[in-house]
Amino acid sequence: MTSDQTLALEPDQERALQTLMRRYRGRGQSALLPMLHEVQAITGWVDEPTARAVAHTLGIPEIEVHNVLTFYTLFYTEPVGKRVIRVCNDIACVLAGNGELIQRLAEELGVDPETGGTSADSRFTLELHPCLGHCERAPFLMLDEEPMGPVAPDQVPDLLGGVS
Amino acid sequence: MNYEPVLTARIGVVDPACLHDYEAHGGFQALARAVELGPDRTVAQVEAAKLLGRGGAAFPAGIKWRAVHNAEGPKFVVANADESEPGTFKDRILMEKDPYALIEAVILAGYATGAGKGFIYVRGEYPRAYQRLRQAVARCYEAGYLGKDILGSGHEFHLELRRGAGAYICGEETALFESIEGKRGYPRLKPPFPTEAGLFGRPTLINNVESLVSVLPIVLRGPDWFNSIGPANSPGPKLYSLSGRVRKPGLVEAPMGVTLRELIEAHGGGVSGSGEFQAALVGGAAGVFLGPDQLDTPLDFHSLAKMGAALGSGAVIVFDTSVDMMQVLERIAAFFAHESCGKCYPCQLGTMRQRDIIARMVAGQGRPGDLALLRDIGQTMRDASICGLGQTASSAILSAFELQLT
Repeated sequence: MTSDQTLALEPDQERALQTLMRRYRGRGQSALLPMLHEVQAITGWVDEPTARAVAHTLGIPEIEVHNVLTFYTLFYTEPVGKRVIRVCNDIACVLAGNGELIQRLAEELGVDPETGGTSADSRFTLELHPCLGHCERAPFLMLDEEPMGPVAPDQVPDLLGGVS
Repeated sequence: MNYEPVLTARIGVVDPACLHDYEAHGGFQALARAVELGPDRTVAQVEAAKLLGRGGAAFPAGIKWRAVHNAEGPKFVVANADESEPGTFKDRILMEKDPYALIEAVILAGYATGAGKGFIYVRGEYPRAYQRLRQAVARCYEAGYLGKDILGSGHEFHLELRRGAGAYICGEETALFESIEGKRGYPRLKPPFPTEAGLFGRPTLINNVESLVSVLPIVLRGPDWFNSIGPANSPGPKLYSLSGRVRKPGLVEAPMGVTLRELIEAHGGGVSGSGEFQAALVGGAAGVFLGPDQLDTPLDFHSLAKMGAALGSGAVIVFDTSVDMMQVLERIAAFFAHESCGKCYPCQLGTMRQRDIIARMVAGQGRPGDLALLRDIGQTMRDASICGLGQTASSAILSAFELQLT
């Protein structure tokens, strides 16, 4: 299920990953989700060799890692942009006119507004997400882990431009 | 309207990062009181309060507390903070703005039930709540509220935070256990119930965030106080997540049983958009639509159950007359088709068929008999799905047709 592509990590990312692996050694299956969250915070997504290394580190079968990676939507087995924009696409945000916001984001990033996707320069991935639980701030989005809302379509250029 | 908020009293008042501020505003007094009472009498307070679970299922919390208290051997307490019902944001605000309250409640639950370890499973899309809780847990260890001999009780209790990873199904309690155990979030068959065989197969108390936080004033002020608020058969304060076409969307704390009209008019500042009420979706995507004739319905567990609806998590999404309800139904149908975990076929196939039928109706290609087909699929999912996701996946959509909103 994972991508044929592999991660190209910087030396400091490699070091961080190795430190992480030592910390999780032998901790078993219950540590799998916490470990994958930490791995992804370093690497952005999880390739085949990294998935295998996670399995060996925890001491669990590789299939268990694949089962989890492919079940949870916040884990990625394909390359994603440097920053992930999750736009809430549920009832309260639809009522607040999130369609225009999604349209504007998709135009700026050159991706399909129906499905989202990653910009050609790999700087951003746009995702349409089920209710993000910030309905009092609709239309709402999260830029990586930063909550933002309500967001007007004409704020989009500043939002994207202000990101390094 | 002379109601003084209790569950949200510290919100916007305390610095959520500061333990001293929490202590200065009544923090850890409930835990101290519980230690005075002892485990057995603390559980009795929860039983006498007749607290019904605030996560959606309205199960009596006291029954769970007593069962885990009586169980032998290692056991766990789990806070279900995987809030993901569309339209629901109450637990997020509690955790972001008053994180120590949840932690105190979990420690108290551990003491009362005799559990040595607790988990708070926080929704993956709630990073701010997770960070605030993480910092607060560290402070509680430093201050001795976590670890050995808590408040001189002799009880040792440890607390671990877990982050979800984007799966609505993990709000289902047994799927949540699977997730903590490092597996796909597939719900388990019940029985056995969590109080007998829950997390890691051990007796487990699992409660929603709001349910746990509600125990603090129950222990401090007593069950009689709790029973004096709201209707006798679903008492207590309640959090409502109000959103959609109202002038002032937001978190509302009110006595259980506030009417839909009062919630919209007095708390939400009235209907926005056209200004004219069309419907409200109560209980989120798993809930039921109420129409203009039902504006005076008290929003409590029993009143809603009597009319075939459910309060669920207390989400209320309001629609004015300008909203095209078929598009809302399309969104709901797509949501369930996306979130069905695929473990059991009635739900896996039913949610997809439901989505396809609604989509073709929206596209103007509805066929004769589509509504009967939707009812049939809904009935099958209600009867044959193994968990609440499939059992409620058709309720909002069928209720919309019932009310002729489309």
